[in-house]
Amino acid sequence: MDVALSRNGAWVLRAFFGLVVAFLYAPIVILLIFSFNNSDVPSFPLSGFTLHWYHDFLVNGDLRAALGTSAVIAALSSLGAVVLGVLASIALARRRFRGQAAVAALLLSPLVIPYVVFGISLLLLFHQLGVARGVPTVVIGHIVITLPYTILVLVPRLEQIDASLEEAAFDLGASRLRTFRAITLPLILPAVLSAFLIAFTTSFDEYAVASFVIGTRPTFPIYLYSALRFPSQLPQVIAVAVVVLVLSLTVVVLAEAGRRIAERRVPLERGG
Amino acid sequence: MGAGEGLLTPSRGGQRLTTPSLLGLPLAWLGVFFLAPIAIVAAYSFDVYSLFPGPHGFTLAGWRSVAHDHIYLRLFWKSAQMSLIVSAIIVVLAYPLAYYLALSGTKRKYILLLLLIAPFLTSYLLRVLAWKVILGNEGVINSFLVWTGIRAPDHPLSQLLYSRFAVMLVLGYIWLPFVALPIFVSLESLDRRLLEAASDLGAGRLRAFLKITLPLSLPGVVAAFFFVFVPTLGEFVTPSLVGGASGYMYGNQIVDLFGAGFPDWETGSVLALFLIAIVAVLTVVFSRFLQPRQVATD
Repeated sequence: MDVALSRNGAWVLRAFFGLVVAFLYAPIVILLIFSFNNSDVPSFPLSGFTLHWYHDFLVNGDLRAALGTSAVIAALSSLGAVVLGVLASIALARRRFRGQAAVAALLLSPLVIPYVVFGISLLLLFHQLGVARGVPTVVIGHIVITLPYTILVLVPRLEQIDASLEEAAFDLGASRLRTFRAITLPLILPAVLSAFLIAFTTSFDEYAVASFVIGTRPTFPIYLYSALRFPSQLPQVIAVAVVVLVLSLTVVVLAEAGRRIAERRVPLERGG
Repeated sequence: MGAGEGLLTPSRGGQRLTTPSLLGLPLAWLGVFFLAPIAIVAAYSFDVYSLFPGPHGFTLAGWRSVAHDHIYLRLFWKSAQMSLIVSAIIVVLAYPLAYYLALSGTKRKYILLLLLIAPFLTSYLLRVLAWKVILGNEGVINSFLVWTGIRAPDHPLSQLLYSRFAVMLVLGYIWLPFVALPIFVSLESLDRRLLEAASDLGAGRLRAFLKITLPLSLPGVVAAFFFVFVPTLGEFVTPSLVGGASGYMYGNQIVDLFGAGFPDWETGSVLALFLIAIVAVLTVVFSRFLQPRQVATD
């Protein structure tokens, strides 16, 4: 007898799980269907198959520019967040110092700040300093909000790796930096990559903070938000939505699969 | 700082990575671009800084007027209720999902978990967009009802979009996959031998669940609740897209006070700081449930 679930209970839970997954994916499937629908309004009955909307967004210069802006911002801010995150994570995982709990709390606190408040705070800072708003100001904000995610990915990985490997390299005469390059970095590389991916996708998708500190060049989410107010653009936006959703689902699955394979190859547990 | 560090490892001149040199850059970044901006909001809320030129001094006038103006407090309470209800409902919905994945013994649990949380990792705005398309007066649901003859063309279900219901549905949709995660982690770490012992001692499954599984998974449940309640409390994007007037939330009020219409940065700063204060209190209260793999402890 199973102690956690009866056979009927397992069946009910499986059915419920299926229902919820259907509920979660139904809106995405509906977007997919209507992205091929030959009508200006996404409504039933379906009126025929078309690739018109995909073609429209491919030739839409504003949209492509917005995608490009978001890609640049996401690349720069995830790079910045990963560099800061690696430094902070090594300190948190490898060092013991006074005020460690407070430092960890501060580093993770951007996780809980309401983005509307953080966006306004940055807006006031740049207003006060007289800094023009634009791509760099968004990057600055996105580094702040993605930094905790990189730390949450990196610290557990660092804690898995046996610190004596680093000590051995150090004892054999390698400098701290060489030890980092030759031992630590290769071992945490899968975690660094997944931290980078998480930061990148978070930044690419971020609307709230960006909406306060972007100048005149819209990011992709800001472009989407304003396009949602014009019904004539809706079918095109739906087509973009499908492409972005399918791409991001693919990236998620590949990243997860990659992380699994990488971590299986380096099964170094601490202790021993 | 760095207690014991120098004793265990020999110093090699400029090549040492000391704790301050590791933490300097991240902490400086947060100091300048995270803490200082919040301090500036505080300065605006006390009218030390102002949008308007002229002499300014410290005053509590902004705080006093917000405390006496019931519009803002009522709006805050309404938003708090909305996020409370959403968080409670989706935690209750997510619990059986996490339970199924963690305890049913299915071999594909990590694949199913990925299936469950993958939507959360895709674009937020696009998932809101999907519901706008579905719920609109000429949207998928209404046009389907008309097409199949269930409703007359001139009588759509008009309260679907631009309502408090729409905001709560979309917020629930967005956060549901995420909520399952902390609950799954806490159930996953449950020692099944406890349940076997309970069963050997004659406890039925329900009793074992109530006495063992539920209490032991409570930290995960509380963490899940916290991580939905906090961001939805300050939400403004979803209500501005699907909320209309009745779905207007506290976050929208803050945005509007900093908007182009009739900016009132002083009042807006008071509201923003009040929200931070609430979140800070909640974080402290919930903090013992939120130890992310002991990052903060040793």
